[in-house]
Amino acid sequence: MSLSRRTKAVAAVAGAAAIALLATGCSAGDSSSSGGSGDKVELTVTTFGTMGYDDLYAQYEADHPNITIKPTNIDTGDNAKTDWQTKAAAGAGLPDVQAVEEGWLSAVMQVSDQFNDLSDYGADEIKDRWVDWKLAQATDKDGRLIGYGSDIGPEGLCYNRTAFEAAGLPTDREEVATLFGGDDATWDKYFEVGQQYKAATGKAFYDQSGFLWNAMVNQQPEGYYTKDGELNVDGNKDLQKLWTTLSAATESGLSANQTAWDWGKGKAFTDQTFATFVCPGWMLGVVKGQVTAAGGDATTGWDFANVFPGGAANWGGSFLTVPTQSKHPKEAAELAAYLTDAKSQAAAFGVAGTFPSVTAAQTDPAVTGTNELSTFFNDAPIGEILAQRADGVVAQYKGPDDSVIQSQVFGPAIQQIDSGKADGAAAWDNALELLNQLVVNK
Amino acid sequence: MTATLTPPTSDTTPHEPYRPKQRTPFAYWRSRFDVKASPYLYIAPFFVLFGLVGLFPLVYTFVVSLNEWNLLSGPAGFVGLDNYVAELTDPFFWNSLFNTVSIFLLSAIPQLVGAVLIAAVLDQNIRAKTFWRMSVLIPYVVTPVAVTLIFSSAFDEKYGLINNVLQTLSIDPVMWKTETLPSHVAIASMVNWRWTGYNALILLAAMQAVPRDIYESAALDGAGPIRRFFSMTLPSIRPTMIFVVITATVGGLQIFTEPKLFNPTTATPGGPQRQYQTTVLYLWDLAFNRQNFGKASAVAWLLFLIIVLFGVLNFLISRRIASVESRFIAKKAIKKGKRS
Repeated sequence: MSLSRRTKAVAAVAGAAAIALLATGCSAGDSSSSGGSGDKVELTVTTFGTMGYDDLYAQYEADHPNITIKPTNIDTGDNAKTDWQTKAAAGAGLPDVQAVEEGWLSAVMQVSDQFNDLSDYGADEIKDRWVDWKLAQATDKDGRLIGYGSDIGPEGLCYNRTAFEAAGLPTDREEVATLFGGDDATWDKYFEVGQQYKAATGKAFYDQSGFLWNAMVNQQPEGYYTKDGELNVDGNKDLQKLWTTLSAATESGLSANQTAWDWGKGKAFTDQTFATFVCPGWMLGVVKGQVTAAGGDATTGWDFANVFPGGAANWGGSFLTVPTQSKHPKEAAELAAYLTDAKSQAAAFGVAGTFPSVTAAQTDPAVTGTNELSTFFNDAPIGEILAQRADGVVAQYKGPDDSVIQSQVFGPAIQQIDSGKADGAAAWDNALELLNQLVVNK
Repeated sequence: MTATLTPPTSDTTPHEPYRPKQRTPFAYWRSRFDVKASPYLYIAPFFVLFGLVGLFPLVYTFVVSLNEWNLLSGPAGFVGLDNYVAELTDPFFWNSLFNTVSIFLLSAIPQLVGAVLIAAVLDQNIRAKTFWRMSVLIPYVVTPVAVTLIFSSAFDEKYGLINNVLQTLSIDPVMWKTETLPSHVAIASMVNWRWTGYNALILLAAMQAVPRDIYESAALDGAGPIRRFFSMTLPSIRPTMIFVVITATVGGLQIFTEPKLFNPTTATPGGPQRQYQTTVLYLWDLAFNRQNFGKASAVAWLLFLIIVLFGVLNFLISRRIASVESRFIAKKAIKKGKRS
């Protein structure tokens, strides 16, 4: 039959065209990856935000003439997460060295078998570099070490000297630390000082409640999950008590109900909308950026005190991992080890303000000395303070849905108490309802 | 085609110089191939590309939607239509659909009215026609991301331009980013700003195609400009209007960039309480924040079906309009016949 012959011809033509397309697609993809003969190796690295690695790449290439580094930097950690997820789901396209943020480490741990165990590439020899909890965070439940720690985020307290002075509170950073209770600083004490400040000035004490809640949860030995990985929010008396404290303070007007990460393009930092701010090491750079964006400078009055309510807390920090997709895991692991050694971390701190997770780097003069950032914070010894704030931090178990609970279950609840749309108890109930919908019955 | 051109019926076999007889079959087959197969070859690139980037994702998404599928750890068992059932009973899905339709109505209606008015003005005899026409198109040239950044900053609740102006007029500031209706209005305004001019140009083209002598005779019969606009211009551009409505619908149902970037720092995409989380944004959130690829695919298919529904409606309406048109033309022809 003539019709069937024609269909065959069409099919053949279409097929040929398809193959041609595929062929061109493949050859374009192949040309970028270098030959696996061993001599010349090209390593791709994906980082995000400001990690301060550019000079280190150049140095590494100079020391290793057979290695070329192709870095990609993504603007924010969240976008880097989306990028990683997409490529991991597609099963192709991941770099040789992938930076992972603590915030989405729990998602990475779900598929930790997609990352190389760095113990196979000499991790055991350098294991004692890091503070132990950083190492624990990067170890999966089977005991495989999948990432080398880069920076950590020990939290101190940023405060505005000018605002404190206006309220008749002490302005010297040692006295401020004592005011909040020094080593025994509690959240109750923090809110008490907040009430004093509000009574004197009529202004809010902190920008919004989300960062405080984040710190409160992270400080607990167990957060949204128990150590055994059981979801533990409904009926969790510790969390509920913290929530009540926080919502009571917010309802009394201590929160400025700002939009986090926006802050009116930095304006809220310069017009004394609030007086204190939760500051992990990397946040210092953010504060400086916000103040500068709104036209302020060192005279705007931000300072950094060696104290944190509720004890030691960590927020954020990153890891360098080697996905199993990498064709050169050995070389990639070596590069990751180099980028996270004491010298490199001290250098990165000077550039990006990322506080080292390697103990030797924490006492490095490049970290403890003065730099651009410390000048901005009224010559505060940032490196020394952060080293002390890192003392006593414990790694909390993060479950697979930890980031969803933080952002989508408690995020809306926090916005409700901040904007006064619900009181603490109602917002807690709303959070539990969201938890059931998004996590329990997903 | 003019009559002077004779169709090249006898020219399909090429006139070639004499060759040995055994070559003829090849030439014959080549020309046969040229006639029978090459048209398919010409259109093959479209279909191959469509198959790769259109059809395959469509089918694959459907397969994913029938499975319990985590974005990272992959498929975890066939669940049939469970994902669809779950989404159809999920309040967040309906919330997203409500937001989408609400933003669509708030943008499509003012946009269409505005576009018709602008087109009507541009259709008049004004000076510097090209300048005005190009000016109307400028918002369309600006990338939506830039539009959103600018509008997002203007609509800021505490430091935004609009609330500052409202406060100087001693009006209470509007919570553009945390309340449902104001946020919908704000997002719709971005869509309107971007698309009104574009639609105005399309409608203008339709208006220009209306024969001028009809207007003249209507004017002679005493119809004023407003009467002429409502009784002649609007009915004449109705098919184009349907086209504009449908493209606006399809675009409106897929709105993503504006709500995504309107308040990019919020923990839940689409507002802290999902006040302006549109369906595509909800789908994105499901896939990339909650890692539920299966349900996200089900939502994608539900959205696809809804858009198909709108497409069918469009087909029915435009067919009706076409028949109205032809009746109108037929009537005119009869009238003309009577007159002559």
